[in-house]
Amino acid sequence: MPRRRLLISSAAALPLLVAVAGCDSRDLFAGPDPLGGPPPLAHDVVVLEAAITAENQMISRYKSAMSARPGSSGAGRLLATLLAQHEEHLAKLRALLMIPRGIPASESPSAAAPVTGVVTVADLRTAEQKSAATLSDQLLTVRPALAQLFASIAASDATHAAALSQVKI
Amino acid sequence: MTTGVSALQAALAAEDAAIYGYGVAGAHMGTGNRELAQQYWTGHRQARDTLTAMITALGATPVAAMAYYDLPFAVSNASAAMALAAHLEDGVTAAYLGIVAVSSPRLRSFGAAGVQAAAARAAYWRGTTEAFPGMSGLSPMAAAISSRRLSAP
Repeated sequence: MPRRRLLISSAAALPLLVAVAGCDSRDLFAGPDPLGGPPPLAHDVVVLEAAITAENQMISRYKSAMSARPGSSGAGRLLATLLAQHEEHLAKLRALLMIPRGIPASESPSAAAPVTGVVTVADLRTAEQKSAATLSDQLLTVRPALAQLFASIAASDATHAAALSQVKI
Repeated sequence: MTTGVSALQAALAAEDAAIYGYGVAGAHMGTGNRELAQQYWTGHRQARDTLTAMITALGATPVAAMAYYDLPFAVSNASAAMALAAHLEDGVTAAYLGIVAVSSPRLRSFGAAGVQAAAARAAYWRGTTEAFPGMSGLSPMAAAISSRRLSAP
């Protein structure tokens, strides 16, 4: 008996004890299997990372579209305003996510691939509509505070789509 | 934690304030915007009826509309009328955002649709879009309550 207590009291001996006993480590712990590898990301984190990626992509699209238009034009000023609001979206979403130190931004799971090709105002409008629809779906499955943020950003995106529909090409 | 009934009541209060306020705002608008204000006023009355039915179905007594609301600023011209309309819609936006916080997916979806609709109307009256409709520094419930100060003295 005293010998068994010594084995149990040694954390290094735990895997041996489990193997000898022929049982899964889950039998000894109420939580996730500590020998089973890193736990999966929480649903909210996965959804939040996807939203951050989407905002990064939207910002890339706006910058691409703006590169083809004078900033002093009516359309140029509107695009600049909407871009600024997307940058606000991104900042608020990022503030909710803890990224471990030492991970470069380019390796962050939410970093967006650069946009290639010409982006038109119609492309932006379609992207805004799609974003509003996606966030409206995602808000159904996340915690309340995140759902409200998604609903607000979705509404903002929908107003962007409406504003872009007024741009004379 | 926001309950479904309390969130719906806050939205109903915001709709009642909007119904009253549009009556004032519409009277000072030009012909085109006046017709639009009339449409929105009708829409707010329909939304009020929907919320009243939902609250009643949940076994609660819907909050009553105020007999009189103080305006947040004087309205004597079209510009002020449009600013009032935007203010009203901001209150409605914030109130529906409160419904998004409840756990029921059906109510969340209903709330999110209300947020988008009200934010679109607010953007029209204001002439600009916003980054975070309904979240202007206030909690959604606080924003909805402040809209009643469209309000009792």
